[in-house]
Amino acid sequence: MISLPRNSRTRTWLGLAPAWLVIGVFMLVPIALMAVISFLEANPYGGVHFNFSTDAYVQIAFEYDLEDNLVFNPIYINIILRSVGLSILATVVCLVIGFPVAYFITLQPPSKRNFYIYLITIPFWTNLLIRTFSWILILGRNGVIETPLLLTGVIDDSLNMMYTNGAITVGLAYSYLPLMILPIYASLERLDFRLVEAASDLYAHRLEIMTKVIIPLSMPGIVAGCMLVYIPSLGAFIAPDLLGGGKRLLLGSLVQFQFATARNWPFGAAIAMVLLAFVVVALMIYARSARKRALIEGDL
Amino acid sequence: MKRRHLEVGRYHGLGTWTVLCFAFLYLPIGILIIYSFNASSLAMTWTGFSLDWYAKVLRNDSIQFAAVNSLVIATITTLFATAIATAAALALVRGGRFTGHTASLGLVTLPLVVPEIVTAVAVLIFFANLNLNLGIGNVIIAHTTFCIPFAFMPIRARLVGMDTSLEQAARDLYSSEWQTFRHITAPLLMPGILSGAMLSFVISLDDFIITLMVAPAGATTLPVYIYSMIRQGITPEVNAISSVFFAASVLLVSIYWLLSRRVMSVPKGTGTSNASGGSRT
Amino acid sequence: MADGVEAREIVKTFGVGTEHEVTALNNVSLTIRSNEFFTLLGPSGCGKTTMLRLIAGFEMPTRGDILLFGEHMEDLPPNQRAVNTVFQHYALFPHMSVAENVAFGLRRLRKPKDETDRTVGHMLELVKLGDLAHRRPAQLSGGQQQRVALARALAPGPKVLLLDEPLSALDLKLRQAMRLELKQIQRETGITFIFVTHDQEEALSMSDRIAVMSNGEVQQVGTPHDIYEYPVNRFVAEFIGDANFIPATVAGFETDMLVCSTVAGRTLRVRGSGDHNTGDLVTLFLRPEKVLLHRQGETSSGRLAGEVVDVVYYGSETSYRIRLDDGTVILAEDRNMLDGSRRFAGGEQLFVEIGAETLRVLGQ
Repeated sequence: MISLPRNSRTRTWLGLAPAWLVIGVFMLVPIALMAVISFLEANPYGGVHFNFSTDAYVQIAFEYDLEDNLVFNPIYINIILRSVGLSILATVVCLVIGFPVAYFITLQPPSKRNFYIYLITIPFWTNLLIRTFSWILILGRNGVIETPLLLTGVIDDSLNMMYTNGAITVGLAYSYLPLMILPIYASLERLDFRLVEAASDLYAHRLEIMTKVIIPLSMPGIVAGCMLVYIPSLGAFIAPDLLGGGKRLLLGSLVQFQFATARNWPFGAAIAMVLLAFVVVALMIYARSARKRALIEGDL
Repeated sequence: MKRRHLEVGRYHGLGTWTVLCFAFLYLPIGILIIYSFNASSLAMTWTGFSLDWYAKVLRNDSIQFAAVNSLVIATITTLFATAIATAAALALVRGGRFTGHTASLGLVTLPLVVPEIVTAVAVLIFFANLNLNLGIGNVIIAHTTFCIPFAFMPIRARLVGMDTSLEQAARDLYSSEWQTFRHITAPLLMPGILSGAMLSFVISLDDFIITLMVAPAGATTLPVYIYSMIRQGITPEVNAISSVFFAASVLLVSIYWLLSRRVMSVPKGTGTSNASGGSRT
Repeated sequence: MADGVEAREIVKTFGVGTEHEVTALNNVSLTIRSNEFFTLLGPSGCGKTTMLRLIAGFEMPTRGDILLFGEHMEDLPPNQRAVNTVFQHYALFPHMSVAENVAFGLRRLRKPKDETDRTVGHMLELVKLGDLAHRRPAQLSGGQQQRVALARALAPGPKVLLLDEPLSALDLKLRQAMRLELKQIQRETGITFIFVTHDQEEALSMSDRIAVMSNGEVQQVGTPHDIYEYPVNRFVAEFIGDANFIPATVAGFETDMLVCSTVAGRTLRVRGSGDHNTGDLVTLFLRPEKVLLHRQGETSSGRLAGEVVDVVYYGSETSYRIRLDDGTVILAEDRNMLDGSRRFAGGEQLFVEIGAETLRVLGQ
């Protein structure tokens, strides 16, 4: 028989202690350590020198030329821009594919809805690596798309679909599509269908019902879905690595490259901090929009 | 008589669009599975049906080693993560409002927000600085950390949906606090705990990037092994092992799904759920 | 002038071809006159709301025609019908202000901006919400939301306004006030109102005519007075207010009177003859407030002796359950007078008078 402490506050904190301990020690502390390392000097042979330095951050935009002058270096800025761009693109693709699907599921009778949602969640819970890898079989040289076209003579050379921004975007969208559909569905499912009828009764035609009522009212789900696709896309490693061939780095694969191959820890840590900053900004925008909506709709 | 317009709120082409979306989600995996039965040793050229590659996977010691690692890591991770998440969920939901509530909730869900690659390198730096090498222990620590929120979510959802009047009724009927927890709260919470455990098991099993960065030699998991195979060139053997892995995941998720469908419907005061059966013994 | 709304032989079946096939409306025909306050009254599940949804266009009839001022409507979507609805729980757009809600229909009709603004202002005046134009629905009380819903539905100037139990979510006082207001708005605007309710008091107090529905069929259509005083069958009589039903046999005829003998052997005279024959089994129907109670009397003068079994005090009136000396139990209702002279206590002996003109013979 366990004797529980009488004081409920003490008990609450005892319950939380393991979580604080594990996540604190193995997540908060390491991230803090990473932040510190991003301000240290790199040791050319791996590891770090314990001198304060902002070199890692300077290196994101500049490099030293032969005369040791700082000159603008667009390589990493381009990677950052490409990461943001492809993540936004993947988010838009997911939204365009996902919204009608979420809406369609909402219109089904409840028993069928559950089955559709099950089908949506399955790919999400199966291995991302395997799912991304399967696209190599489709897009690759002599893959499922090319082979029939080559055989029938529609094309006479490879389409070179692999290792392109397009391939990465498809991979990202494919990876995170379920994360777009699920929150939109959750939002739409709560939508009072009488509002749709009311709009129709008040002379709104199909398109207006969609733009004036259904979309505005499912905005919380749309915003949440966009966040859930955008954030992991920014930090994605597998899609740029397998489908971008390691040549078209994104923020996530750049971080991995710096730690695993280049072994420039401060620079890798600095890039990771940049990535984290983008995520924090996205989350702040999300929180603000949620708060604003709560205010407007008087839900507070 | 055929009516000439759709019902309010319905749109043309939604069904077709949905079918296309499911094709997008499932065709790539379908193609992968089909190619795993390809007799050719060239991954992309179909020459005939064969189970050779599955046989080869079965004979491959490295794959078996990695698979055992994966299962051991996922099992231990699940035990830790679920226990920690259960304690945290009970404290956060039943602890009322207290200073640090929001911070604690934020902390528990933090691993969901931080990009995996950031978690991976941060933990890598941490282990390297401590010179910590516990073999698969390193991987278990990292996995436990980011599996906690996945275990936490369903347990918390279950607790939030649970009618406190059931517990109050037990207290009213002379149960001590511990008896109430033992006979009422715990059995009712069990489905949430099971789904939480299932989720963290699947997440741990599937994880690739954190394991890739953190695992020391000898602690290779199945996804990391598959990655190295892909890196060395795409062979039908990759397709075969991937198909097996995929089938295992689908099986787990389906069990989870059936389980949650059956028991996640929280009894609202009536206590008719089967989940509470046997709690009197 | 053409009739406002005409429903011809409407059949509506849900879930056709499935195991859950339900016929909500079974061959319903209704004619609703223009400028009329028409009420569809019935218990839940009687098909009244389905009828309303068919007129609005949210559902398509399985069979039959719906005409609006002589034009066929049954194939038009809701947005092409000059009909607006006040929804049961208002269905106000939560992401729009009160003014935006009211302007919604006008904007969809592409009315000029100044006209829209004017109409919105006018409508908010009409429902006395002028100063809340910029609030969100969630910031309003139930009664205020109800008014916004009304203003929103009236703003586009529909030919017919459909009201689906609009008062059911309000508390009693507000509901009574809104009845008068709705009736007044209907008279001022001259719009045909079709009002759905399960509350007979609401129906009686506001309607020009009422259709009583049950099991997907119309039982009776008539003015409130007709429906209350001359119900065509037991369902209507019971649904609209309290009633006594006395089984009897036709015993003979006198000058414009029907002589009936009750099962208990009592003889009752009923004004009117109807086409009955001697020996027919009939049900006599009597409203409780038509039963006159006396302290004194003689049974020979047509008064019946009885004893008070139960007394329920309602304030303005008192309801009595009385056992007559032949064992029949009837319900009587009496106004409470200032001096209390007409109040009876449980167990008290009294005399009951049932006038020949207050009894009706019911069809089955």
